[in-house]
Amino acid sequence: MPDRSVLLDHVSIRFGNFTAVDNANLKINSGEFFSFLGPSGCGKTTMLRCISGFSEPTEGRVLIGGKDMAGVGPNKRPTALIFQHLALFPLMTVAENIAFPLEVRGASKKERRKKADELLDMIALPGIGDKKVSELSGGQKQRVAIARALAVEPDILLLDEPLSALDLKLRQHMRTELRAIQKQVGVTFIYITHDQGEALTMSDRVAVMSRGVIEQVGEPDLIYNRPRSAFVASFVGENNGLQGVIKGQSGEVAALETPMGTFEARVGGGRKYKPGEEAILFVRPEQLTPGASTNRFEATLTRQEFEGATNHVFARSADTELRISMVNAGLAGSPLGQGENLSLGFAPMNATILPVGHMASEA
Amino acid sequence: MTRNTLFGGAYAIAFFTFLFGPLVIMVITAFNSSRFPRVVPWECFTTGWFGELLGNARLMDGLLNSVIIGLGVVALAVPIGLAGALALSELPARLRAMLYTVLILPILIPGVVLGISTIVLWGQISRGLGVGALYNGFFLTIVGQITFVSAYAMLVFIARLQRFDATQTEAALDLGATPGQAFRKILLPFMAPAIGSAAFITLLASFENYNTTVFTVLSESTFTTALASKVRHGTDPSLSALAVIIITITLVGALTNEAYQRRKAAQAGGPSARSPLYANPITQALTHPGVVFAILVTVIAGLSYAGSRHDSSVCEAAVLQDKMARQEALRAAQQEKIEAQQAQENTLPKSNSAFGGAFGGLGGSTPAPEPVAPKPASPSAFGGAFGGIAPPQSDD
Amino acid sequence: MKQLKLAYSTLMAKHGMGATLFVAIAVTLWVVVFITLPQLSMLDYSFRFNLPADQIGTEADHYTLEQYRGFFFNADGSLNSLDLMILVRTLVAAVVVTLIDVIICYPIAYILAHGAKEVAARLMVIGLIIPYWINEILRAFAFRVLFGATGVINTVGMQIGLWDAPVDFIRADVALYFGLSYAYILLMIFPMYNAIEALDHTQVEAARDMGAPLWRVHWRVVLPVAKPGIVSGATMVFMLTAGALAAPQILGGPSSLWFTQLIYQWFNESSNWPRGSAYAVMLLLTCISFVLLTMRVFKVSVGEIGK
Repeated sequence: MPDRSVLLDHVSIRFGNFTAVDNANLKINSGEFFSFLGPSGCGKTTMLRCISGFSEPTEGRVLIGGKDMAGVGPNKRPTALIFQHLALFPLMTVAENIAFPLEVRGASKKERRKKADELLDMIALPGIGDKKVSELSGGQKQRVAIARALAVEPDILLLDEPLSALDLKLRQHMRTELRAIQKQVGVTFIYITHDQGEALTMSDRVAVMSRGVIEQVGEPDLIYNRPRSAFVASFVGENNGLQGVIKGQSGEVAALETPMGTFEARVGGGRKYKPGEEAILFVRPEQLTPGASTNRFEATLTRQEFEGATNHVFARSADTELRISMVNAGLAGSPLGQGENLSLGFAPMNATILPVGHMASEA
Repeated sequence: MTRNTLFGGAYAIAFFTFLFGPLVIMVITAFNSSRFPRVVPWECFTTGWFGELLGNARLMDGLLNSVIIGLGVVALAVPIGLAGALALSELPARLRAMLYTVLILPILIPGVVLGISTIVLWGQISRGLGVGALYNGFFLTIVGQITFVSAYAMLVFIARLQRFDATQTEAALDLGATPGQAFRKILLPFMAPAIGSAAFITLLASFENYNTTVFTVLSESTFTTALASKVRHGTDPSLSALAVIIITITLVGALTNEAYQRRKAAQAGGPSARSPLYANPITQALTHPGVVFAILVTVIAGLSYAGSRHDSSVCEAAVLQDKMARQEALRAAQQEKIEAQQAQENTLPKSNSAFGGAFGGLGGSTPAPEPVAPKPASPSAFGGAFGGIAPPQSDD
Repeated sequence: MKQLKLAYSTLMAKHGMGATLFVAIAVTLWVVVFITLPQLSMLDYSFRFNLPADQIGTEADHYTLEQYRGFFFNADGSLNSLDLMILVRTLVAAVVVTLIDVIICYPIAYILAHGAKEVAARLMVIGLIIPYWINEILRAFAFRVLFGATGVINTVGMQIGLWDAPVDFIRADVALYFGLSYAYILLMIFPMYNAIEALDHTQVEAARDMGAPLWRVHWRVVLPVAKPGIVSGATMVFMLTAGALAAPQILGGPSSLWFTQLIYQWFNESSNWPRGSAYAVMLLLTCISFVLLTMRVFKVSVGEIGK
């Protein structure tokens, strides 16, 4: 088994005064499905271009399979990139596209055709080799792009939001397919996306980026349940943030005084707070329940959005807008009315206290 | 709104009448046997001017020279234009604006100035180096035309490059191609249609050019300079015949291209796909660009053959007879008048300009020297007497 | 220099050594040998005496303002009003022709961009291009046929009794103005069309909807968008008209010369190249300064030309 790991060793990338990537330091394991998740402009694409060799880090090193890649051009690296808009060559047939990596290495026509057919079988599109790229559907183009990248026999496959142009149904289908292909070929996948659904469902591990900084690296459930910064908490999934002042801390749990009352919650990232320090408490909409016995408070229902299985309820308490997800209780449940008073609570272990920091912007 | 549409339509019709009117009239004059190109009075339908055109040795020599020069210009201007477009695409904004200004300038500089500066520079170089071979009409014309023709090619390439998706090159590099391979296998094939149209435009520009060429061609002549000196030294309908040929070629090209474009649009599923023309197999075959082209060529060949068999000499002789008779009658009438006058007062001097005045009403304008041998059927006296005005003779 | 180096390295990384060398050599050749050197050489020539071949390079061959003095003054020291007037008249005529073209092309460019349906628009484009396939000389010739003493206009005019004797349209320069206005119509329409096409048609409809009369819609909504296109087209038409040679030679009256014809005479008839060069320099300088001035007035950059 070849070493298919990527090591980012204190990598910074600057354009003039602008820092696109700030001191990224992480190891992507051999054979892993790894995602960089972040809003547009967070530096994730710059990171990808740096790994694939289109730009060099201003500081630090990129090591692929343990080898320093400084001065190695994109055509010499064991990486293959799937572009956001795929960049299939419109003037070539599907087979010519897939066999392009072999063509530039001087492989014979027969060899090229054989490889193309093999890869078309693998992506379950046999017999379309002679079609023009323009004749393919969106999903087919997607798979051809993957086949073409795999024709390089790369150690690392880099994917730059390749699903963003597809419609919702196809996007969900392709997620499963990508994951399956990755398992089959055993290549390290590095996936770039701003769509948290994609990142969380497909990845072994996710790195959340904001403003050029890697905020948190971890398994999808840890990213969701144990955010380590205000940005991660607000960017990944829905969250209610209650700002307040620390009253005290004992071990894993601290008490925070907010306008809505004083609440106890788990401390994020194992930090130690002094009383009087400012902090934010994050509690997810699905964790606010009428039945919880701890951290109780009163709120007034302002509006609801019905979405089948879940009912999104918006309520106000002490000038704070709260978002609550309730499971549809069906006809057996009693309907909620406008202006109704709700009595809610949440378990301390299901909320996180994090230091004040920038949040994901509403959009 | 309808009033505006009406006005717009009327304006468009007036505008295109202005655009095509002169051409249509010129085309008609090509078939009138009158020595001066005109529509009325109509003398005889003739195809003789085509024969006269093809028999014009100076024009035909010029045609060959133009082809040689045109090929030379295309071979150099297209790569230079491509290089210019590529350079512009990679330069940072400020430098790009500067270079663009420099490269586009030759289109704006009067062609006369380009021609002069070219012969002056290469005259000095050939004197300085003692290489007389450089001071040669063909070489100088190619060099002089390249200066601005390359800019036309460049504009074509810039337009195409703007539609190039740079990630295509990146994808090729990422898939293991060297930069050179990416250039040859991705960028150049993408530019291929533009290379075709640039070659076409540069050839046309080279062929058509007069202002620069008239200086740089020295003692040689191209088709256009030969044409110009013919026009300046007296006109005859063989030039109209030339216009007929060029317009015909253009129309065939335009119609074939239109058939091609419509077919492409229909295949791509555009609005013309719904046209019944493409549903019926017979009309579908008939609208194939190749078939359209073949039909047009056949029709033209047939017309040309029929035209070449047409003999207008009987009609022309009759017209000539008629003119001679009228002239004779006028002369006789004049003679009578003069004699009567002489009889009246013997001392009156004979007027020289009476003849010209009687026919053309043009005063004393002298007929232009005819570089082309006049047709035997019409004595040149008529060319002068009926031929209208003298061309401006500003030089030679 | 640093920027040049950067561009060079991007080219190398993107297209490789071969392509980079090709671009560098071709562009250098074009800029230096084809564009710059000839102009410098002409400038140099314009400051020399017109010497026979055997005296070139001897001590008699030194710089002089003689040629420019000859343009501005006669031998007796009086102002050379003849040549100066020809230059002025050429420029004024070029401006007039340019304005005529702006006026007659604007409606067509607008109709093409916003009025005509798909098929009609394509036919119009073909109709605009076809006349320009025909040689410049032949186009001028067509106007000669039209405006000659026994041409169509005179014959028809006399037959329906508008005038009795043939009108000399050529001497009156009517044929020349028509021919020149006709010659560069295409170069005016396409930049205008490109600019107007960028305008969202709903803006015109919105303005109409608010009750603005048609002229005001054009003045306030369409024209500001069309401006760069108009200036670009006008620049080309002006420069080409002022620099035209064929049309004035074929259609010009015998008494009114175009400035380019003057240059032509110095070269081809008087064989006085230095004087011809000086005249060419004068033409180039006046035309370019005039265009730059106009562009400054209308606040448009050279980069707009050719788009």
